[in-house]
Amino acid sequence: MFDAIVIGAGPAGANAAIILSENGLKTALIDEQRDAGGQVWRVKSKSILKAPITEAVEQGDALRDRLKSSNVTAKFNCRVWHIERQENGHWQLSVVGDSEKKLTTKALIIATGAQERVIPVPGWTLPGVFGLAGATALFKEHMMAPMRRTIVAGNGPLLFYVASETLRLGGRVSAVISLNSRMDWLKSLPAMLSNPALIGQGLKWIFTLYKNRIPIYWQHAIKAVEGENTVDGVTICKVDQDWAPVAGTDQYIHGENLCYGQGLMPAVEATRLAGADHHYDEKLGGWVPTIDQWGRTSMSGLYACGDNAGIYGALAAPIRGSLAAEAVCEDAGINLKKRVDSKKLKAAKNFGLAATALTIPRSGLEALITDETEVCRCEGIIRQEIDFEIKTGAQSPNAIKSGTRCGMGPCGGRYCMEAIALITQHRTRKTREEIGLPTARPPLRPVTIDDISDDLDYDDLPIPGVSPL
Amino acid sequence: MTDGNNDHILRSKEISFIFDGVSVTGHDGETVAAALLRGGITHLRNAPNSGTPRGMFCIMGACQECVIEIDGRKVEACRTTISEGLVIRRVPDV
Amino acid sequence: MMPIFDIAIIGGGIMGCGAALRLADGGMRPIILEQGDIGQGASGVNAGTLSMQIKRVKLMPYAIRGHEEWQHMGDAVGFHKTGGYTLAFNDREAELLHDRMSMKKEAGANISFVSPKQLNEFEPHLAGKVIAASYCPDDGYANSSLTGQYYRKKIDENGINFIEGFKVTNIRSTSEGYEIASNGRTVVASRILIACGGWSKHIAAMLGVELPIRARINTVSVTERAPRLISGVIGHATGLLTMKQKENGTILIGGGWQGKGRPEEGRGQVSVDSLVPNLQLAKFVLPALSNIRIVRSWTGFEANVPDFYPLAGALPNRDNAFILGCVRGGFTIGPYISKLMGDYILGKEPEMPLFDPARKMEEGKLI
Repeated sequence: MFDAIVIGAGPAGANAAIILSENGLKTALIDEQRDAGGQVWRVKSKSILKAPITEAVEQGDALRDRLKSSNVTAKFNCRVWHIERQENGHWQLSVVGDSEKKLTTKALIIATGAQERVIPVPGWTLPGVFGLAGATALFKEHMMAPMRRTIVAGNGPLLFYVASETLRLGGRVSAVISLNSRMDWLKSLPAMLSNPALIGQGLKWIFTLYKNRIPIYWQHAIKAVEGENTVDGVTICKVDQDWAPVAGTDQYIHGENLCYGQGLMPAVEATRLAGADHHYDEKLGGWVPTIDQWGRTSMSGLYACGDNAGIYGALAAPIRGSLAAEAVCEDAGINLKKRVDSKKLKAAKNFGLAATALTIPRSGLEALITDETEVCRCEGIIRQEIDFEIKTGAQSPNAIKSGTRCGMGPCGGRYCMEAIALITQHRTRKTREEIGLPTARPPLRPVTIDDISDDLDYDDLPIPGVSPL
Repeated sequence: MTDGNNDHILRSKEISFIFDGVSVTGHDGETVAAALLRGGITHLRNAPNSGTPRGMFCIMGACQECVIEIDGRKVEACRTTISEGLVIRRVPDV
Repeated sequence: MMPIFDIAIIGGGIMGCGAALRLADGGMRPIILEQGDIGQGASGVNAGTLSMQIKRVKLMPYAIRGHEEWQHMGDAVGFHKTGGYTLAFNDREAELLHDRMSMKKEAGANISFVSPKQLNEFEPHLAGKVIAASYCPDDGYANSSLTGQYYRKKIDENGINFIEGFKVTNIRSTSEGYEIASNGRTVVASRILIACGGWSKHIAAMLGVELPIRARINTVSVTERAPRLISGVIGHATGLLTMKQKENGTILIGGGWQGKGRPEEGRGQVSVDSLVPNLQLAKFVLPALSNIRIVRSWTGFEANVPDFYPLAGALPNRDNAFILGCVRGGFTIGPYISKLMGDYILGKEPEMPLFDPARKMEEGKLI
């Protein structure tokens, strides 16, 4: 039994765990990666023996060092697959990859970070198409860039990071395709000025692209990814203010890889499975648990911090981790010296919100999803089937899921539900809040029966009374 | 995948493993996904229903597109590390 | 307010929609009030098993008719008649199997006994440790996920009114009938039929009627696609396992293992403490499951009463109020018993007797 368990060892979760443990709480930190750092400070692969130190590596290493010298029980390569609230108000986690199959705790902090929003277009399922955030995982973990030519497309700041990092790691970039216009960026500058250092970094990325003569297509979208078994290139088109494709503006660009994404969304599966209230807030990246300023959710003993509680970004994450730790300590009756600099948090949040604002989906996006586009990658469900389901009366993600199997595959609907919502919104004019999300179900990741149970003698199976005759 | 001109990155020794009967080399301890990408292998399986080719996509253990089979068990290529002689096969089409 | 509708049906599942169709056919104007989406409650999330071997002896005639209804609905609900086996692994279970299946056979189910060797020929992937087995060629399944789609289309075609997202907050009984309210909206009808499964107790209480309903919270799990491992519906002598592999290769595992939660709270929760033994039993029966990943587990509520028989008839002490609910077999029997219920409300003599909700209920025995 732990006093506190933190799920997710990114900057928010790991920081929260360290603070909790410093305050005498018996704390565990769980992550499915092999060490702390999350996506933003992702730990390098063991295959990298020596490499130049970057700022992200420094920050990540500092966090990992702090964690190692703390009393936190770190459980890495460990996955939580179910979360249950016990009758006494404690939390029970079912896990794989640990010597224990169940862990219990009085307080539970969920810090599962973000997941990527990727708008389906024809060909987006081809091998050679990676999520933008997926590409950053390759950079950080393996210090590799895609081979041959890479096209980088989508929106927000991640575009320019991925393109310039591809170049830095020796890759080639054909083009950057940005949904955002130059004007979008200019508008977001004042809010971003709260962090001149990061602005400088962003400018450096863009400068790298100009220096390498990489064409940037502002206010353009991927219309289709072309190729038979792998990517040969993409067809792009201009988009209007709402990001709807403009007819007659198609162009073809050659490339063998496409890094593609439209921003980050809070990864809320865990807080939803736990049963907390959520609401939709586009400024925060989508559905978020409803929390107070420290990160208390609607359920006692359940806290959320980091990007999964709203995409405020990596700068704000450690501070939000501190806040959640403060709340846990306070609720446990421990007097904690306040350590959060609210001015710093506000500046970090403003910067994060400005970056997130560039990625808020606009109404035209759904028009990029053609009739024949596979919306649900797992089940191969095309848009036409979803439209038909809505036309014949399905009004919610649950109903669409039941009728079409969209979202019933191994990814659990993570990569199709955003598109389903955009399509439903377009067809029904309902708000995202009204459309809602499908019911949260375990397991959080696919598990085998062997993963979650021990071998048991048949006679030891706890068989309850037989069914009535 | 390329290391380009990044000679200053020192990687672990090269080892070989088997992917669907073909010997592939990679650096000891890197993920199957990274090693396959380096070897130019991106097509990992075919999707049910549509039969369309699939490869690694999210590279962080969520999308399940890069699932491969090791010892009859399905694992994510992006979360499994390679070792000398590891035998991997494509998940057969169902 | 004067009633606009002849009857308001609380609950848009198989029971409610089935009754509505019958009532509309008989000339009444019904309206279905559903708190969520049509067919997305227990009707849409159960394991879809249509097995004579797990039906109760006394309900067998209803199950046989229900089965015919599903067969008639056919492809639209993913109906498959695959045949099914029920297995015993020790002497106690073998005895149980023999006694029970003999009685079910007596009640009209087409059940026979097969040797472990015969079983192995038909279902070679099942564990070799079976010591006795029974077989019914009529057993099969429907895809419960399609229930909503099917009934929505049907009620639409028949011009039946329905409101989704109508969570009943209050019911007022007037001299003309019932005023049913949900957050500011009110529907007025001359009659009321409660057909909302696990929530029925809650709704009946709004009419001042106490029903001895305790919700059951059944757990169902599904695997990712797998190569063909079983062809029929597989059950266990205790009734604690149902397993079938659908055409797309996914394997559905049920058996009525209990999750947590209460209908009033709106959501059931999968409990690891019952899910894990449920899956272990499944793996014992089908060893190849050990390497196949579970992608989803969920729960559905069932309206359970002490004697485990349906509630189908007039609501005690209320005029023009009815209730229809069924535990253990509601999916199979639903399309049929809802017709009987419709006939009863229309003032016709149902083809088979209903189950008076006011009856004295003996506590059913779990051996």
